[in-house]
Formats: sequence, structure tokens, C-alpha cells
Amino acid sequence: MADPRVDYFYSFRSPYSYLSGPRGFALADDFEIDLHFRGVIPMMMRGESVPTAKRLHTMRDVKREADRLGMPFGRIHDPLGEGATRTLAVSEHAIDVGRVREFVLTAAQAIWAEATDPATDEGLRLICEAAGLDWEGCREALSDQSIADRVEANTNQLTEIGHWGVPVFVFEGEQFWGQDRIDDLALVLSDAGLARR
Amino acid sequence: MSKFRDRAEREIGPRLIVAASTVTAPARAAAAARRATGRSGRLELYFGFDEPTSAFAVIDLAQRLQGRKVIFDLLPVVERGIKDDPALERKLVYRIADGRRLGRRIGMTLCRSEPIDPQQTAFLASWVAAAPRGTALTRFCAAACRRIWFESDEPIEQARYVELWRECFGSAPVADVEAVRANEKKMASRGPYETPAAFIGGRWFFAQDRSAQIADWLDELGWTVQ
Repeated sequence: MADPRVDYFYSFRSPYSYLSGPRGFALADDFEIDLHFRGVIPMMMRGESVPTAKRLHTMRDVKREADRLGMPFGRIHDPLGEGATRTLAVSEHAIDVGRVREFVLTAAQAIWAEATDPATDEGLRLICEAAGLDWEGCREALSDQSIADRVEANTNQLTEIGHWGVPVFVFEGEQFWGQDRIDDLALVLSDAGLARR
Repeated sequence: MSKFRDRAEREIGPRLIVAASTVTAPARAAAAARRATGRSGRLELYFGFDEPTSAFAVIDLAQRLQGRKVIFDLLPVVERGIKDDPALERKLVYRIADGRRLGRRIGMTLCRSEPIDPQQTAFLASWVAAAPRGTALTRFCAAACRRIWFESDEPIEQARYVELWRECFGSAPVADVEAVRANEKKMASRGPYETPAAFIGGRWFFAQDRSAQIADWLDELGWTVQ
């Protein structure tokens, strides 16, 4: 029987998604689940606005949380636009070749802590190769319509389940929004008897 | 867009915001000055009686502030949120699920499965906004939050809360709607756009998500448990 599924909605433009990465992917180490990474198009590219007060607070709050979690943060290159689109395309390719965890963690750190610009070939290639991906395969993914359609489908799915932000984990229809709700999800997975022995 | 402006927006601006957020010396010096002159610290909590996340924050922070020389400034609001927020309805529903999890953290079970209309609890906000800060007010707010969200799903009847108020204060409540509006304005000027939000030492936090960090910041400011 297949392991229960956990969907993990994620945006490369969300610093909270970045913070969620190591613990989000580690859920699959700790629990008998099938973790599905679902990269989505950033809110601001979906026509939603983000107030200035929210943008300022997010940067300050993420810095505090990153320090608490021992994660680097601050040398930022906002990937809004091409950078986000290209990173999402490669993340789908990384799923296909079994290296999505490596790619997502590497790309997010590059964006939020190393000021790497994934909108350029130079920046994206650096990320891909650091994640153990072949650059040619990644480059092909950038112009693959079926991959773009998958990203679109992920984004539509987030809207369909009635959610607005990321990261979001979904287990048996229950949504856990935010990197600060991973412990709550872990409790629910434990209650469901899914902890690895 | 020019190359420089693009870089300023994508890199320089965010980095400056992050770097500035790490400067703590002025806040620590201000807190030390307050202590030196015999004054207390002050933690402002902007909250709504109509949401379980706020109820959690009130109950949780009341416990975390025990033993610290910090005034718990309970500032109820009714109108708040991001203007024309397209996700407002979904957020109200999600808060119920989230409130259930938060309740579990403090050993309580959420008793409601539907959001509450803010107007149903507006009378509580108008009483609390007009009352003096102190242990009686903290006791009332924590008890009211427990009753609304963790003890029953009955309709919210004003008479029952008048009784509770009398138990805490020994007198009848006085409503002041203008004081609630003042809280809402003050909250906007501090930066928070949603509740519950705690403000202390120049920083604000979403109080339902960052209670441990609030306690750490209080420690860093020198408002430690005595």
C-alpha cells in the first residue's frame, strides 16, 4: 500500500518557504509519507498585492526566525519574475530526476542568503550544478511547455483548496500554513501512527 | 527599469531592512533607562475577542509575562486587516483550524467550529479599551477568551460577561467605543496589519506564532523573570 500523501506548496519568492525547506523535506525522513513538492507562482505574479507594512515585517521577522533556526539569511536577490519562473521550471525537472530536495534547498539558500540571480543562466547554472543536476537537462526544462503547465496546475490547486499563501502542507485535507506549523503537522502524523521506527 | 533601480529593489533595499533589524542597542538602552528610573516595561497586545488565535495569545502571554516587571497592555480592536484583502473569508475559516492546534499547545480544546462576527464581541472590546491596565484586566481578558473559545460554543451573551467583569473589578463595565478606534489607529501606526500582534521595544511580532521569541526579546531587553 502506498504511503499517505503530504502535499507541500512552496514558492521560491517566499522567504518563509525558504525557512520551511530543511524541516519540510525532513518530514519524509521521519514519517512514512509520500511528500509531494508543489512549486507555485508567487502571489505578486498572480495579481495579488502585498502591502509595504507586510513586506517590511516579513524581512525582519524572517531574519529573526532564520537566526533562531541557524539558517543564513540576508544577502538577498528577490527572484520576482523570470527568476521565480525559471527556478520553478527546474524544480519540476528535479522532481523527474529525483533531486528535488537538493535543488529546492540549494536554490532557496542561493536566493535568500547568497544573492544569486536565477534569472541569469550564470546564476541558475551555478544553483543547478551545486544541486547535482545536469545543466543541459535544466536548460531544456526552461522551455518545456508541459513543465510550465505543471507549475500552473500546482498554483491552481493552491487556489482550489482555498489557500492564499505559502508554505502550505496538506495532509488528508487538513492545511498547515506556515513554517511555524511544521511541528503541528508532525504531531498529527505521529497521531496517525506514521512515525518511522 | 534601470539596472541600478532593479538591483536596489531586489538586493540593496531588502538587505538594508534586514541589517537595520539586527540593531538592538537603542532598544536595550531604552529598557535599561526605564529600569534605572523605576519604571516597568510595556508589552502592547493588539487583539480581537472574535478570533481564537487572539484568545491563544492573550492566555499564553499572560502566563509568559508572570514574574516580569512588564505591564501587559491589552488593546482590543474590532476593525483591522489588510484593506480589500481577497483572502479575508478564507483566513477567517482557517483561523478555526489553526486555533484548534494552538489550543492543543496550551492544553485546551477549541469549542467552536465557525468564525465569530467581530460585532458580536465588540462590546467586550469597548469595555476593555476603557479600563485601567493591571491584573484585574488581564484576568478578565484571559477568562473571557477562554469562555468564548475554549469552554463553550454558546451564543455570546453580554449579561454573562457583565458578571465576569464584576468578579474581576467589583463594579460594572463602562463602554468606550472611541477608545477602541484609538487602539486601531495606534496599531496601524505601530505597523501590524492583522491580529494578534505584540509590540515591545520597537519590534512587533504576530503573537500567536512567536510567543517564544517574544519571551527571548524580553530577556534580551532585560525584562527577565524575577
